Amino acid sequence: MPDTPALIPRRAALLTRLHEVHARDGFLDPQRVTAIAAGIRIPVAEAWESATSYRDFRFAPSSDGERVCTGLSCQLAGAEPGPGEAATGCQFRCYAAPARGHDVPFPEEAIRIAGPLLAPDVRDWDGVERARSLGRDAALAEIEASGLRGRGGAYFPTARKWAGALEQGRPIALVVNAEEGEPGVFKDRAMLCRRPRRFIEGLSIAAEVLKPHVVAILVNGEAEAARDSLEEALRESPIPGMEPWIVPGGGGYILGEETTLLNALEGRKPVPRLRPPYPVESGLFGMPTVVNNVETFANLSVIFRGGAAAFRAAGTGDCPGTKIFSLSGRVDRPGAYELPIGTTIRQLIAAAGGPISGAAVAALTGGPSGGFLAPSEFDRPLVPGPLHPTGAMVGAGGVVVLDESSDIRAAVLSIARFNAEESCGKCTPCREGSPRMLEMLANRDLDGLDALMEVVGAASLCGLGQMAPGPIRSALHFWPELFR
Amino acid sequence: MSLVIDGREVSAAGSVLDAVLAAGIDLPHLCKDDHLPAIGACRTCLVEADGRVVAACSVPASTVREVRTSTERVERIRNGVLALTAGMGEALPSRAAGPCGDEVARAYAAPNGALSITVRHDRQATDSSNSFFSFAEVACILCGRCVVACQQLQHISAIGLAGTGRATRVTPGAAVTFRESVCTSCGSCVAACPTRALSPTSGGVS
Repeated sequence: MPDTPALIPRRAALLTRLHEVHARDGFLDPQRVTAIAAGIRIPVAEAWESATSYRDFRFAPSSDGERVCTGLSCQLAGAEPGPGEAATGCQFRCYAAPARGHDVPFPEEAIRIAGPLLAPDVRDWDGVERARSLGRDAALAEIEASGLRGRGGAYFPTARKWAGALEQGRPIALVVNAEEGEPGVFKDRAMLCRRPRRFIEGLSIAAEVLKPHVVAILVNGEAEAARDSLEEALRESPIPGMEPWIVPGGGGYILGEETTLLNALEGRKPVPRLRPPYPVESGLFGMPTVVNNVETFANLSVIFRGGAAAFRAAGTGDCPGTKIFSLSGRVDRPGAYELPIGTTIRQLIAAAGGPISGAAVAALTGGPSGGFLAPSEFDRPLVPGPLHPTGAMVGAGGVVVLDESSDIRAAVLSIARFNAEESCGKCTPCREGSPRMLEMLANRDLDGLDALMEVVGAASLCGLGQMAPGPIRSALHFWPELFR
Repeated sequence: MSLVIDGREVSAAGSVLDAVLAAGIDLPHLCKDDHLPAIGACRTCLVEADGRVVAACSVPASTVREVRTSTERVERIRNGVLALTAGMGEALPSRAAGPCGDEVARAYAAPNGALSITVRHDRQATDSSNSFFSFAEVACILCGRCVVACQQLQHISAIGLAGTGRATRVTPGAAVTFRESVCTSCGSCVAACPTRALSPTSGGVS
């Protein structure tokens, strides 16, 4: 794997080095991390605090047992590690629950409904050429006219983010968030494995407009198939000389938070930064930085090929376009469903062949940062913003369906445990509060839980803590009797 | 720039926390050291800024019109954070010279409200390997001031915050003792510690 690109401080090689040594030896330890730190000449304590903050790194030789995923969707499918097998957290292969063994390329047949994003991959680079011929200002105006909002989960207007970076008047860093560490979401893997050129075209359009000095792509460290597919496809890049710096992630839900991702790329401990400054003002090594999700880039390809007006034909006025929904859990045909923004949960479940056993009894939307919904809410259109005051939202488009065979209480505890375990530890409310929320819920000790959820939600530093009460609050709203 | 804090108009240049403290209003700020950049970890300097609950240390005063430091809501949430902080371990007897001794004592005495926070007992490690100071984890609130002082003020980087979630620990080197680390015994971490988890060894030079 190449070192860091020119212009980038050497400490940025840390995550790649940690990943290499971990892949080679199967684990890290103080001796190995000390050697890595010496190799890139950064302080050992900084390498150690970083290395010990990633989910995927083990610090002791692991057993040879087959890995068995115990994430929510696999749990719903009855996953149970047998003797000698190694239970893991969510492996993000919820389309193939129960998942076992190692990463495999996203199967073509798990693309269940394709729209413009997941249509057969592009063969030429017409979208890039159109952006090039328009020039920067007209291309930005095209994105603005399309109404594109970021598909990572926050739905921030893409044109406004880019303009914010451009108006700094300094060299820009362009960063792709392909960490995708959310249970129930696998759309970036689908895109990178099956439609990599669609993504590369979008990335190239961004490069035409932003003229970045650095292009970095952080890909989930365990998504080896997606990384291989991306590297292969990049051999034919529409922009000569554009060689993105591809970094394998180390795992962690918190990496979806963009300032945490930037710290990871810089070889620092992956925890959120304070804002301001915002990344568009001062992001990667102080550069004005645009961080977008894989799916956002893919949308740019669609916009510059078909035009902003055609793009607006799907979705809602406030948020045009399609969304790749990741559907998993107790449905007949789990997988990637590209449907217009505004599709309802009921329509999605029907598209997936309906529930497996009896009726659908609950759905988790927005993953661990979203909330559970009862069937009475299934006609709500999936649009940005709160779907329900107790927590549910579209987020990255993950929908996990529970049916009559499912244990709602166990599912809620599983997600609450995920949030407690994924807390990065930086701020007190999330670090101390999330595990206490889980304990109280598990022990049916609800006195003060509302007050605690208010504290964690209002006082936490980043979205992970702020949203952590959502799944619990929503479940207590819809199924209070299960938790008393 | 002017800003209205609890009904009083004040002029402000830095953060909302700077403005609140300059106005003579008492607000806990366990992770904000006068000599260090804002960390934003302790979440105790909560105020309502234009109706939103925010950590005052991380919000520029110029971006806010009105600040309320003592609404019922913000006091309830702030006391909740203080209760979670106190639940991390126990306060060590405050030493006379401690710049934040009173503040920490007050934090531990904050009303618990509706929260029922039990105290954790899983943080009992100590490190007395350095002859000038010692570290008692039971009093550490993971505010990060020592680490920022070591990494960004002194550029020594003898310590970091290893691990995540509840397993986060102030850690010298790659899990070694202070003595085995590159620590130069400069004392910056000790000076920055608001709880005396890092404290001078009696008889040593502090």
